[in-house]
Formats: sequence, C-alpha cells, structure tokens
Amino acid sequence: MTTLTTDRPVTALARPGPGRRPRRRSRHGLAALVFLLPTLVVFTYFGWWPILRGVVLSVQETNLVSDPRWVGLDNFRTLLADPLLWTAVRNTAWFALLALLFGFPAPILLAVVMSELRRLGGLFRVLVYLPVVVPPVVAVLLWKWFYDPGNGLFNEVLGLIGLGPYPWLQSTSSAMPSLVLEATWAGAGGTVLIYLAALTSVPSELYEAAETDGASVWRRLWHVTLPQLRGVLLLMLLLQVIGTLQVFTEPFVLTDGGPADSTVTILLLIYRYAFVYGDYGLATALSVLLAVVLGVLSAIYLRLTRSWSTT
Amino acid sequence: MNVRSSRTAALAIAIISVAGLAACSDSDDAAGGSGSGDVVQITVADLPPSTEEARREQFLDKVAAFEAENPDIDIEPAEGKWEANTFAARLASGELETVFRVPLTEPQALIARGQVADITDEAADLPHFDTVDERALAPVQDESGRLFGIPTDLYAMGLLYNRELFTQAGLDPDDPPATWDDVRAAARQIAERTGVPGFAFPTINNTGGWVFTSMVYSFGGRLQDDDGDEVSSTLTDDPAVEALELLKAMRWDDQSMGTQHLSEALEVVKAFAAGQVGMVIGLPSQYRDYAVQYSGSPEAFGVTALPTGSEPSTLLSGAVMMVSPKASDEQRAAAVKWIDFNYLRSKHDADIAGEGAAAQAADGLPVGIPKVPFYGDEVVAAVLAAESGHVNVPLENFQPFVDRLEGQEFVPEPRVAAQEVYGALDSALQAVLTQQDADPAAELAAADDKARAAIDRAQR
Repeated sequence: MTTLTTDRPVTALARPGPGRRPRRRSRHGLAALVFLLPTLVVFTYFGWWPILRGVVLSVQETNLVSDPRWVGLDNFRTLLADPLLWTAVRNTAWFALLALLFGFPAPILLAVVMSELRRLGGLFRVLVYLPVVVPPVVAVLLWKWFYDPGNGLFNEVLGLIGLGPYPWLQSTSSAMPSLVLEATWAGAGGTVLIYLAALTSVPSELYEAAETDGASVWRRLWHVTLPQLRGVLLLMLLLQVIGTLQVFTEPFVLTDGGPADSTVTILLLIYRYAFVYGDYGLATALSVLLAVVLGVLSAIYLRLTRSWSTT
Repeated sequence: MNVRSSRTAALAIAIISVAGLAACSDSDDAAGGSGSGDVVQITVADLPPSTEEARREQFLDKVAAFEAENPDIDIEPAEGKWEANTFAARLASGELETVFRVPLTEPQALIARGQVADITDEAADLPHFDTVDERALAPVQDESGRLFGIPTDLYAMGLLYNRELFTQAGLDPDDPPATWDDVRAAARQIAERTGVPGFAFPTINNTGGWVFTSMVYSFGGRLQDDDGDEVSSTLTDDPAVEALELLKAMRWDDQSMGTQHLSEALEVVKAFAAGQVGMVIGLPSQYRDYAVQYSGSPEAFGVTALPTGSEPSTLLSGAVMMVSPKASDEQRAAAVKWIDFNYLRSKHDADIAGEGAAAQAADGLPVGIPKVPFYGDEVVAAVLAAESGHVNVPLENFQPFVDRLEGQEFVPEPRVAAQEVYGALDSALQAVLTQQDADPAAELAAADDKARAAIDRAQR
C-alpha cells in the first residue's frame, strides 16, 4: 500500500529534466559536503586519524619523547614470541564461547517471558535494566565482594543450604565462568530491551494462527518468535562476539588476569604492554592484529548469514 | 531557510569546527613551558592536597621562599601524582611536571626508555652530595653511573606484625620471628588460636612479584644475573624455589594464609590495619597508610627486619624525584635546585628538618619512622636530633626492625623489565596459593620463560 502511494513522487524526483540534472546534483553535492564537513573533520581527527596513527605506531618503537624509530615487523615478531599471547588468545576465546552459550540465550528468554507478562511488565523491565545503569566498575567491584571466598554474599547464601564454600575467582577453573556470569548480568538489560522492541514488531496474527493450530508455547517460540527475530538475533550475535573478544573491565578489576593467567585476555595484555610496560609499539601491534581478526570474522559471519537474515 | 542561507550556515559550522579542532590540537610542547626573558619557569608535582592544610601551606611557603631566594626561577606547583598508566600520555602531551615523584620500582625502566633527564652534572654541585650513600643512588643510575633521579625517601623491606594478635596467640610481640621457620610457626599459631590468617601475601598488579622479590633476596637469591652487559633471568634458582615452597606449605599444609589470594599490596596492608592478618611483608613507611588512612591502632603495629640467610640482604624501596626529559638546560638546573631546596635540605639542614617535622606532627602525620640514611653519619645525626622532639610514632615498636637491619645489604629492584618480571611472578604466586597440586619449581620455570621473553624485549 505504501509503495503505491509513494511511487509517483519518487519517480518524479529521480527523473528531472535532462538539461537541469547535472547542475542540481552538483549543487546538492556541494551543500551536502559542506554540511558533512564538520562530521568528517571530527571523525577524521578523533576516529580515522588515530586509527591510522595506530597502524603506523605498530611498526615503530617510541618513548613518546624522541622521534619514533621504524622497526618494520619487529613488534609483530616480538608479539608472537610472547608465551602469554597464546594464553590470552585461548582465554579470550573461552570467554567468548562461555558468553555465547550462557550469555546469549539468557536475554532472549528473559525478553520472551517478559513480553508474555500482562502485569508487572514495567517493573521487570526496570529490574532487568538496572544493572546497566550501575557504572561498570562499581558493578564489578560489587561482584568482587559477592565472590569473596571468605564472607562473600554467594558463599554466605549457598552456605545456608549447605553448599560450598566455592573458590569462585580464586580457582583457575572457576574464575572465567565467574567473569562470564557477571558480564551476563551486567549486559543483559540493554539486550533485553532491544529484543522486547523487536518482539512488538512480530505480527500477532502469526501467534493467533499458531494457537489455532494448537501449537504449544515452546513451538510458538521456536517456529514464530525466533524466525521473526532472526535479523535482530544475528546482529546481536555479531555484536556480542565482537564485544566479548574485547573483554577488559571484568578481568582488569576482578582478577588482574589471575589466578595463574587463567583470565588474561587480549585487551588486558594490550593494556599491560602500553600502560604497565610502556611498550606502545607492541601494544598497537596487538591492537592492529585484533582489529584485523575482528574485521575478518565479521566479514565471514556476514557472508555466511546473508541468506538467513530477513534484511 | 533558503538554500543560500543554509549553505552559509553550513560553511560557518564547518569553519567553527575546524577552528575549534585546531585550537584543541595546539599543545604546549615544553614541560612546564620556558619563561620569557631571563626567568625560567618550571612546574613541580607533589603539592599536598587541601585536606592536608598545614603541609600544603608549608609547601606553598617553600615555593615562595625558593622564588625569593632564586628570583630568576618561577615555580608553578601542581598536585600531580605518579600514575603508571597516564605517565607516558602526560609526558607526550607536555602535561607532565618538570619535577615529579616516582616510586623506586620505576626509575630503571624510565631510564632505559629515555623518559627522564640526566641530572648528573647538576646534582654534583649540591651541598653534601659527595657524602651520599652509594647504595641509595644505585637504583637511579644507569650502567655507566649517570644519575637520573634523587631518592627522597628510602626504606628497607621488613616484616609487619600485629602485636595484639601476637599476644592473643601466646607469642611474644617483643621477640618477633627471626627466621623463616619462625615466621611459619608464628603464622600457624596465630591462625590456630585466633582464627585470623597468620600471614598474607599480595598476588596482583605486579605487587605480588615485588614483595616476593624481597623474600627471594632474604633467602640469598636474586631475580637477575647482571654481568654489566647482558641480563639474564634467574627465577628458577634455589632461593626462589625455596621461598615459593615455603608459601605453599603455609597455605596448604598449615592453612595459615586464609582463602583470599587475589589482593594487591595495599589491600593486604588494609586488611593488616583492620587486624584481619597477623603478619605481612611491607615497609615501615606503610605505618602511614596503616595509622592515617586505615586508622590502625599504633600500639598494635610492630615491624622487624625480614629474616635473612647467610648473606643478609633486603630489597630497597621508596620514592625518587625525577626531571622531565623535555626540560631545557636551564629548567633542568632549576629543577635540581628545587629538589635540593624542598626535599634534601630537610635531610642535611637540621633547622629545616625540625620545622618540617613540626608541621607534619601538626597535621597528625607520623614523624620518626626509621629510614635508610641518605647522607653521611655526621649530617644524619644532626638532623635526627632536630626531629626527635616531634616524634609521634611508637618508636619502641620499630626497634626490632632497626636492630636487625644492621649489617643487611640493600639490594635494588631488578634492573631490566622489573614490572614484567613481577607480573610473571604474580602468576606463579597465584598458582601456588590457589591450586593445591601446583608445583613451585614448575610455576617458577613458566614465570622464567615469560621473564626471559620480557628481558629480551627490553634489551633488543
């Protein structure tokens, strides 16, 4: 319906008189460029230029005082020889996988359940979104106390029903899952809201038809809700993978990469290279590598999922 | 709005944006800027915050007095404090003060990276500088003996212990542990009789490695073999393995180290001040954090020297004043003059020392914590006499430290990639304190691999 009503004016605009078209375009182009200029300048200065400088810095050695020295691929070679790099890569992949298994489905289920609530929906939305409002470092410090093996909240509560005490962050095997739990709690709120908004766009006729056919709640979720959300789901999945591969705050504040390097992530390593060890060339070399890997992953992902996406 | 006026507006916005950005990019290149005419301008860090009113006033008075004495030097004081993660950015942007304070863990890395100024020639002319203890200058010199900083407070690592917990556990607080076996036995006794961990050890933010270094030194070991040219890692040597095996035994066999093993040094001191730990390795100067910041009981504070083996030695720690590498020759000379005026005079001029001690006491800050002497005996004796009237710390509680420190060699931090080595040791400590089946020798071998990679990086 919409297409019919808008078809004519669009066509009219797209086909101006043959003699006037180039001039109007060039004028519009100039005005657009002038309007774009402030944004372009800001992006160039604060976005693209630092990225370019980062790439240049990755093949230099600098102390930020005297002129940088070109070292070619030396930083990359040194980086690949660091035994901690592969530990960080493994740990980051492990975090991303755990977050995918537990952190990705949780907001979807929460959103679906909340969309079904006829009463108190607003209250639950506030409660779920609340962790997003708490400043990340404050939230992480709060969880540090929750996880305290001595008198932390979790061990105290679990102790009441005869469980524990558990080491949580103090064990190489449970430290990473503990970080994922906190990250899921902290990040779920925003994602739930996006899913809730997407759910409102699912035509109610589909549910009515499914109900008429006798579909159970589970089948309605599987055959109606998820297919209708797949565009948003695929986008959120990509954003989550990119986000989790850049995890920093949780290991930085909760464990400093410990115990025994079990939570050292790639971004934590970049931070250490730059701000603890003062080797900016090495830090930017790893940043460039990470950006390349993320870019390639995103491209592969988009190509693979192109046919599934509704958009 | 018609097309013409919208274009004009767009152009105006564009011009304003570019002008604004150009203004933002205008940076002050010189550290502190250099003054016009014959007046040299320098910026100096370390201005006490307004919460420490008396010390702040005293600092500002000193600035005024210095400027009166040196009319050709203009000083701009700032509250700047050392932050490892902002240092390089402040240096690059020209925001770093001309004179700044650095903890003794940092100078060797800063010297190696060329991020501090050489002040050998300027310092040589300072009063009494020829009497300065060579051991105190070692941490701020490069291999060729050039000087890059002036230590202002030097302390030797010791063993802090809670005298009240000692008494509750049936131990004699006036006879603290003298050997590592004593430390282990005391920790076990405190844990068994009071329920409080007898001993605690930091393991994160490289502070675990730093404290472990002092333990290795006290076992007679070193972290690096330094033949003057090449430095190699020695983390797998016997003293380091023995030290880590002792910690493992205390953690798992004796259960005397509690369950929280991901803390940094300051958190450990905080727990110690709260009476939640019997003993920790630390500095006598941490009495300040203990008493002022964490309100620990002065009577409960005890400190003794670290137990030592056949070659008595301990890790040296403290603070150093350094000068920005961006300073001009005139600024560097003015900076060193200021360091002497503000930090060294109270160590070689008895009158100034007495006034400084009085101001600190008036602010409720501790006076009388034993330091490693900087100048020769005669100079030090006069200063101590002037300060004695204002001492407000329980000196008798520091006496075991003073008595047992006699004859110990002061060993500086590892010369190359110290922070990286400490980070590697953090991981080994975490493994041994959180996994019962961890093998100390294997963990140190893994740390040694990382340390070697870091040392190679630093020496490339």
